[in-house]
Amino acid sequence: MSEEVSPYVTLISNDGFQFLISKDAALVSGTLKGMLNTSFQESSTNTIKLHELDGVLLEKVIEYLYYNLKYKESVDVPEFDIPTEMALELLVAADFLDV
Amino acid sequence: MSRRRGRQTETGEEFQVQGPSSALTSFLREQGISAEAIRTRYEEGLRRQLEEEAGGEEVENGGSDESDEEILEGEEETAEIKRIRERARAKRRRAQREDGLDDDEKADGNNFCIECDREFVISVYSKRIEKYGRIGYLCPECTTNEIKRQRLTKRNEIEARKRRKKVAAALLDKQEFKIPTLQDCCINVISKNIDAVDLLGDIGVVNMKKIGRILSKNRSLDNRTMALFLDPAMREIEFWDCSNIDSVALNKIAAFCPNVERLVLNMCGRLHKDNLNYYAQKFTNLQYIYLNGAFLINDQTWQDFFDSPVGKNLKGVHIKNTHRFTPDSLISLLDNCGNNLEELTLSRLDGLTSKSVYDLLPHYLRSLKHLEISYPNKEELIDDELIINLMGVNGESLETLILDGCSGLTDTFLVSGVKPFCPALTKLSLVMLDQITDSGVSSLFNDWAINGGLMDVNLSRCIDLGDDGVYAVLEHSCQTLVELNLNSVKNISRGLFKQIGRNLRFPLLTALDLGFVRSCDDSALAVISRIAPKLTILEVYGDNRCTSAAIVRDNLRIIGRQSDSI
Repeated sequence: MSEEVSPYVTLISNDGFQFLISKDAALVSGTLKGMLNTSFQESSTNTIKLHELDGVLLEKVIEYLYYNLKYKESVDVPEFDIPTEMALELLVAADFLDV
Repeated sequence: MSRRRGRQTETGEEFQVQGPSSALTSFLREQGISAEAIRTRYEEGLRRQLEEEAGGEEVENGGSDESDEEILEGEEETAEIKRIRERARAKRRRAQREDGLDDDEKADGNNFCIECDREFVISVYSKRIEKYGRIGYLCPECTTNEIKRQRLTKRNEIEARKRRKKVAAALLDKQEFKIPTLQDCCINVISKNIDAVDLLGDIGVVNMKKIGRILSKNRSLDNRTMALFLDPAMREIEFWDCSNIDSVALNKIAAFCPNVERLVLNMCGRLHKDNLNYYAQKFTNLQYIYLNGAFLINDQTWQDFFDSPVGKNLKGVHIKNTHRFTPDSLISLLDNCGNNLEELTLSRLDGLTSKSVYDLLPHYLRSLKHLEISYPNKEELIDDELIINLMGVNGESLETLILDGCSGLTDTFLVSGVKPFCPALTKLSLVMLDQITDSGVSSLFNDWAINGGLMDVNLSRCIDLGDDGVYAVLEHSCQTLVELNLNSVKNISRGLFKQIGRNLRFPLLTALDLGFVRSCDDSALAVISRIAPKLTILEVYGDNRCTSAAIVRDNLRIIGRQSDSI
């Protein structure tokens, strides 16, 4: 019961890190939105396992989700910092998550 | 200052003439301390003491335990402050009387805050504002709030200015300002550091293309970076800037990706004849080839290429910007794959100077879907008869017809070529056809029943066209039009906008160029905004009657108004 109205979603990376993020942030990602708005198991448990992403990468993705949520309306947006060595992997992840 | 302070001491004396003085003396004088004052004060103290001793009654009061000097100095200071306060109050009272506000002030000088009506003591920090039709002062608390509020509005103003700037900049790129996606952020970082990348990996074809295009755009596609895109599984390869890719590297495309079906090489001035010969052996699956600026390839090499198994297989050939593509090359092309061709582009080929070879086109081409013949060497090369013959054979399947800059064409080809033979046509581009007129275009589009409607029409710089012709186009295709370019059709009058506003609707139109249509004004913009609900980009460069006052939908971006300058 309470799970359905919970404003939080748990994302789990392939190496077992769990991130509890707000649903609004998760909905920035088209893929996660698709998972949460259907009748799949993910939407009833509010838990999504992301086998493609490790903890470091997932942390960065979540940082972006909140960055997007925060600056969606404003114009004076600071640049989103991406470590160079992570860019390619992150691109693959971003492609997968549709963000 | 020092003089005034000097006068305020009890002496009342003024020093008219002064000798040389030490730093200490002048400092003391500045501070209002003079030997004279100290002496008088001391004498007065002595006198009082004597009096007290004589009276003996007021020992506790005046005598006290502290030293006389200190008391006196304190008294003097308070007296001074009192005087200053009195004066300030008088001044304030005067000022408020002028404002007609003395009712808020009590006799003791306290004030009521104009905001919260609390009683407070006014100070130099109190803010004087005009509010609720009155002028008055704010209490310290309200003052802080007010200052905060003003700072905030100022910051908001700066923010708003920044926003306007960014929006205006985005407007010029025909984009809406929005937060970049994570993919775009990554692609930016990758493009910047492309020299450090050894392998792109599994990033998806769309992202691969995006990176390739960005590298082309910022001119950093070279021998090394192009190799990142060579994956044996690739079916499509597009390099939009090959000017930094040398001949050896160009061979690698065929060596690494023999399965390519569609190859795009833009600005390929370094494409050597050896490359094309190598391609002719390797690209066994090649179906579409786009070569822009391949001016090193000579006639013989073109012929060999088309004569190879690869050449015979081709379904689409797009050749642009080379003077070495000769009539013989074209004959070879037609001989070998002319019958299969679905797409053909011959643009700015100045070596094609023979009209009789152009006239061969209708004998070979049968099932074209895309035909572009643009900017021929001479305008006589492309005439109405040629196009009519081509339409007669290919019209049934033709979807795209681009005849930009073939200024030898007249109304005849529209009426006798396009009208009867082209039911499937969706894109028509007739840039710079200065001989086509209202009557020709009207008779093409009036009752053109076999064609269901065009999606993309470009009539830019058809300077002989006017209201009637344009109205006929719009009336026929208004339900299907997605893009429309009427740039520099200068004869369009205000009446046209009125006419279409009353009779036509454009449910799908998304991009419209009305640049240099000088009759276009604010009311025309309002009309267009109303009748084209999906329109997102409207270009009005050179239309100086279009101003920022135009009333249009929020999601319609109008580009090129003078008032939009950054």
